[in-house]
Amino acid sequence: MIARIKSEITLWRAIVAIIFVTGMYATYIRFFEGFRASTNLSDQMPWGLWVGLSTLCGIGLSAAGFGISAAVYLLGMERYRPILRASILISFLGYMTVCVGYLYEIGLPWRFWHPIVMWNHRSVLFDVCICIMTYTTVLTFEFAPAVIEKLPWKRFRETVLHFHHKILIGVVMAGVLLSSMHQSYLGGLYLIARGKVHPLWYSQYMHAMFYLSAIPAGLALTVMAIYLSMRSLNVRVDFSILSDCGRMIQLLLIVFAFFKVLDLTANQAWSYAFQRTSEAGYFWLEMLLFLAIPICLLSFESVRSNPERLYWSSAVVVAGFLVNRLNVSINSLQSAMGTHYVPKWTEMASSVLIIAAGVIAFRYAVIYLDILPKLPKKPEGFTRWMSNGGLAAQA
Amino acid sequence: MTTKKAMLIDIKRCVGCLSCETACKQLHGFSTDPEPTLSDTAFTVVETRGDKFVRKICMHCEDPACASACPVGAISKSALGPVLYNADKCIGCRYCMLACPYSVPRYQWTKLAPFVKKCDMCSDRIKAGGQPACTEACPVQASVFGNRDELIAEAWRRIREDSSYVPHIYGVEEAGGASVFFVSDVPFEKLGFKAAPTGTQPVPTLTASALGDSPKVVIMGGTILSALYWITQRRREVALADAEEKAAITRMKDERSQP
Repeated sequence: MIARIKSEITLWRAIVAIIFVTGMYATYIRFFEGFRASTNLSDQMPWGLWVGLSTLCGIGLSAAGFGISAAVYLLGMERYRPILRASILISFLGYMTVCVGYLYEIGLPWRFWHPIVMWNHRSVLFDVCICIMTYTTVLTFEFAPAVIEKLPWKRFRETVLHFHHKILIGVVMAGVLLSSMHQSYLGGLYLIARGKVHPLWYSQYMHAMFYLSAIPAGLALTVMAIYLSMRSLNVRVDFSILSDCGRMIQLLLIVFAFFKVLDLTANQAWSYAFQRTSEAGYFWLEMLLFLAIPICLLSFESVRSNPERLYWSSAVVVAGFLVNRLNVSINSLQSAMGTHYVPKWTEMASSVLIIAAGVIAFRYAVIYLDILPKLPKKPEGFTRWMSNGGLAAQA
Repeated sequence: MTTKKAMLIDIKRCVGCLSCETACKQLHGFSTDPEPTLSDTAFTVVETRGDKFVRKICMHCEDPACASACPVGAISKSALGPVLYNADKCIGCRYCMLACPYSVPRYQWTKLAPFVKKCDMCSDRIKAGGQPACTEACPVQASVFGNRDELIAEAWRRIREDSSYVPHIYGVEEAGGASVFFVSDVPFEKLGFKAAPTGTQPVPTLTASALGDSPKVVIMGGTILSALYWITQRRREVALADAEEKAAITRMKDERSQP
């Protein structure tokens, strides 16, 4: 038994080590040799995996924070309070990874602060930058008590937490508005590329579609992270909360599916879905993974009430969401731009590094801070080292 | 009052000598080897389409998509006509490249401090009263430079006087108008010219409505959220009062039952 556990430890540690070594090397290539050496980007495909995965997916999958905090603080759904901090932590770390990814994406990273002082209110990207910066601040504020309550200075702690409590509701409201805006503006970025984005994805309501798809995906990632924490760390959450999240995810996916069908019909884009093109293939893959399979699976009580099955259903939602965002940001542009883009290994390695760092930060936050309700200490001290602490969430 | 400048490119007259391309490269100090497409060292190229030659160059739109897209406002339309790029502001996000309906801006992918590169219509030369290097170099007046209004009149004159021309000036109305016009004796779609994605509307109108919604979202969303929070609080207060009342009643009953 112990031997088996030991072998598992070494496997996951080895994987983390490989991710860090390759990721650091890829980072070196990015910053010291430039885009040509580190990416397959071109004039025809100026945005690639970094924008598609690090930014679009990173922000989208961090949508649970504002959803759950709105539910608990504004709608009074106290039932979800046990998972509130976990979802805020996931959002906070997600936005942190996006901020780090931003430095990889822009050609002149030392000018990252330019959007703060050089405004162009006609630019969707400017609004995205400002909203993300402000919302990252909001998330830092919402998450801060988890760290502050661990500080040893009692007076300081009480003063800060008292002040925090006073303005919390206002901050939560600002957070919900900011999230709603930039979650949709990420889709709005592609509005200007009419004629370049494939008709299966282009619509004048792309921003709304991004907003509608982000919330179920963010909830699904939260379910996955909490399941993995419960399996591998010393925490327990009433599982029926996660079951309810599963029901909520299904409902939100049905809403998204409804609007997607409406949108395709309004744009007369259905004919493109039945052509023998790679876009049609990617489109159906997305429909299958993001909508058809999870909606079916989550309609079964036996799936929703079984932790493992719920976890895998959420994993399918997250996978489908990744396909959706990469479809919009990469696959939908290729034919119009007359190019074929496959990310270089360095692009993937650096993205995986940033995500892995986020996952590890989540793991240690759950261990050392009061993020999820903790179980009384078990005699076997090694249980918490048993699993990967959510590394599988990268998939 | 500055007069808007523009450039007229006559595909019928062009003989494909590449003088414009070479003059542009010489002016910028690039190697004069011809390149197949626009690049960070080729701001204009002459492409062969059948037996015709088509110049590729920044269209210098009246309401440029790139300028509206740039998050830091590094791209702007100047009063004289050229669409100018301010390298001091650029952060290298490359959104202009995605936004441009003609896919003109190029990036210095090999540089460690890369910038966006595109034609600036030799802005410094035209400010000093001169003309761009490419039009100056053209030996057959296939590319000519002048005041925007006069050039449109000149284009129509060429179309009227020679019935072989297609009766359309590409660039006057496309995507809200540009400062580079094309006339041709072969239909434009056969030469690879795309219809503008927005017809005669400027491309930035595509994002204007989504962005215009944001004040509404903030005001309406804020009101709705505040209302929801108020309802939640109110329900909580009512529930609390109910519970207290019940507790009081039970206490009273208890007191009565034990005299």
